[in-house]
Amino acid sequence: MNDAFTLPTRFGTQGLGGCYAPETLMQPLLDLEAAFRAALEDPGFQAELKGELRHFVGRPTPLTPAPRLAAKLGLKALLLKREDLTHTGAHKINNALAQAILARRMGKTEIIAETGAGQHGVAAAAACARLGLRCTVYMGVTDMARQAPNVARMRLFGATVVPVEAGQGTLKEAVNEALRAWAGRCTEAHYILGSALGPHPFPTLVRTFQTVIGEEARAQALEQTSGLPEAVIACAGGGSNGLGLLVPFLGDPLRRLAVEAGGHGPALGEHAARLDGGRMGVLHGCKTLLLQDEHGHTAETASVSAGLDYPALGPELAALVLDGQVEVRRASDDEALAAARLLCQMEGILPALESSHALALLPSLAAEGVATVLLGLSGRGDKDLSTYQSRLEI
Amino acid sequence: MSLNPLLPFLMAGDPSLEVLPGYLSEARALGIEALELGLPHSDPIADGPVLQAAAHRAIARGATPRRILESLAGITASPDLILFTYLNPLLQLGLEPLLRLLEPTPVRALLVVDLPEGEEPAFETALRAAGYPLVPLLAPTTGLARAQRLLEARPDPGPAAPFAQRFAYVVARLGVTGAGQATDLGPLTARLRDLRGITARPLAVGFGLSDPVSLQTVRDLGATPIIGSALVAELTSGSLIRTSLGARLPR
Ligand SMILES: Cc1ncc(COP(=O)(O)O)c(C=O)c1O
Repeated sequence: MNDAFTLPTRFGTQGLGGCYAPETLMQPLLDLEAAFRAALEDPGFQAELKGELRHFVGRPTPLTPAPRLAAKLGLKALLLKREDLTHTGAHKINNALAQAILARRMGKTEIIAETGAGQHGVAAAAACARLGLRCTVYMGVTDMARQAPNVARMRLFGATVVPVEAGQGTLKEAVNEALRAWAGRCTEAHYILGSALGPHPFPTLVRTFQTVIGEEARAQALEQTSGLPEAVIACAGGGSNGLGLLVPFLGDPLRRLAVEAGGHGPALGEHAARLDGGRMGVLHGCKTLLLQDEHGHTAETASVSAGLDYPALGPELAALVLDGQVEVRRASDDEALAAARLLCQMEGILPALESSHALALLPSLAAEGVATVLLGLSGRGDKDLSTYQSRLEI
Repeated sequence: MSLNPLLPFLMAGDPSLEVLPGYLSEARALGIEALELGLPHSDPIADGPVLQAAAHRAIARGATPRRILESLAGITASPDLILFTYLNPLLQLGLEPLLRLLEPTPVRALLVVDLPEGEEPAFETALRAAGYPLVPLLAPTTGLARAQRLLEARPDPGPAAPFAQRFAYVVARLGVTGAGQATDLGPLTARLRDLRGITARPLAVGFGLSDPVSLQTVRDLGATPIIGSALVAELTSGSLIRTSLGARLPR
């Protein structure tokens, strides 16, 4: 039996992260860390993952220059890391597939997942179909309505989608329910958390499986252009695509930015901007920046984008922010919607609403004198068509 | 050592904070020695539907941690209370204000569902030093070696201390709180025998217990049964606490 964690469980000078889990989940988490460490050292696991990322996911994804949009915004160069071109249409598959392979190695027969935008749920469902694992996805009812195409995709892949009625019916409630379900079925099931959140070892696991984004992007930038960009930017829900893109650039002399959901206003409950609005707290197993009231109850959040509509910033990303390695900014619903339309018109690429939050910051960066930007386009916008249709009146 | 026959759970603020002193004095009058008092949390990840709903009702009616503890100040007609809570509300109060609020109350121990031993050592040590030990939890997934370590990390203060400060909480089954699915008490016999091999402190068994027969089964195994969701559900549908607890006490 593994009775202690071996990997660091905390991030940054303020010791964010940790493992604040109910006792029932402690041994499963200890076992997961051990299996993760063993897999990383196993060439067989690495080879299988690499092969699947290449032939199933479609990696490496392109680094696409966006010259017309760059010119329009007053940038010298804009490079888009195209996670929207992965199989299932978002970076979520990098993590879901790797964890599914890990789960199968652990002898698990069922996968439990939560989902907000539905991209992680679709990725988990696809990975499970491919590996022959049972899949149950917990999803808030609000998100099921606004991301209906993804609900249908999960079901086509054979997953059971369980509606979560509680609270606002968004990602936070889905995580609650997935954690509860895992506590009941932890012997046979593995929980694939979809972002760099939750109790140790999940934040480390998810970040490890997502840094392929930034590793590829950095090598591609060096190969395709004259050097590294001045800024690298991604959107941040829990923080998985943000860490995946930014961590490989940590040693480089450039600006690293993460963009949160500014929602429709500055008051608590109107946004999901954890840096300004949040205080240190514990939710879903980790200590991090959290939107909450004075009593320690989680606050409501709001965003047009289901994938960013979550009250906590992942602990490692929050630590990088507090320690000055990453800047956090926010973009409003309207700014994100406008940025999505502009990318469509200038480059023929339909971004996910989440990714559009990163795009929305480009005018400010240009105004601050940044000339070259590498942007993580975390997903494609097909799932958001109905929102675009109604909000952009097309 | 005589066996404590029942450890009830109530959600503070549900149905209201006003009824709480009456509940506590009735429990005391029935001979209840210790009682778990739930501090409602917005995201109770270890609780099933009944306690989730109770927590959300209580929060909606303004039962904040501070108000709950203030409402307990000066109460003496009460069982010893074990404050059953998630960590974040305690962190937001802060250690010193928490200790000041606890001081005039019948709270004798804390059960923090999402605080494993070792995650907040300074906080835990300060609480214990102030007279509020944290209850060790032993789940079905907790191996014996780990159980032994957890019991040592949150030690039994000894026979002179009240039950509330001594017992270990044995989680009867995987999953969350709630009476919805009947708990198979079969594995419990072996489990309690194993635990008896490593500790002499009082053991209480909870999660999914409800009917008098399963409560008696737990007692026959030498442990105190915990009754939570079933009690909260009955009180919600109008049962008197005297009736609900009385029916579950051994004659
Ligand atoms: C396309 C896309 N981008 C970004 C996110 C936000 O998650 P994270 O911050 O973990 O990358 C999501 C989450 O659902 C998503 O679907």
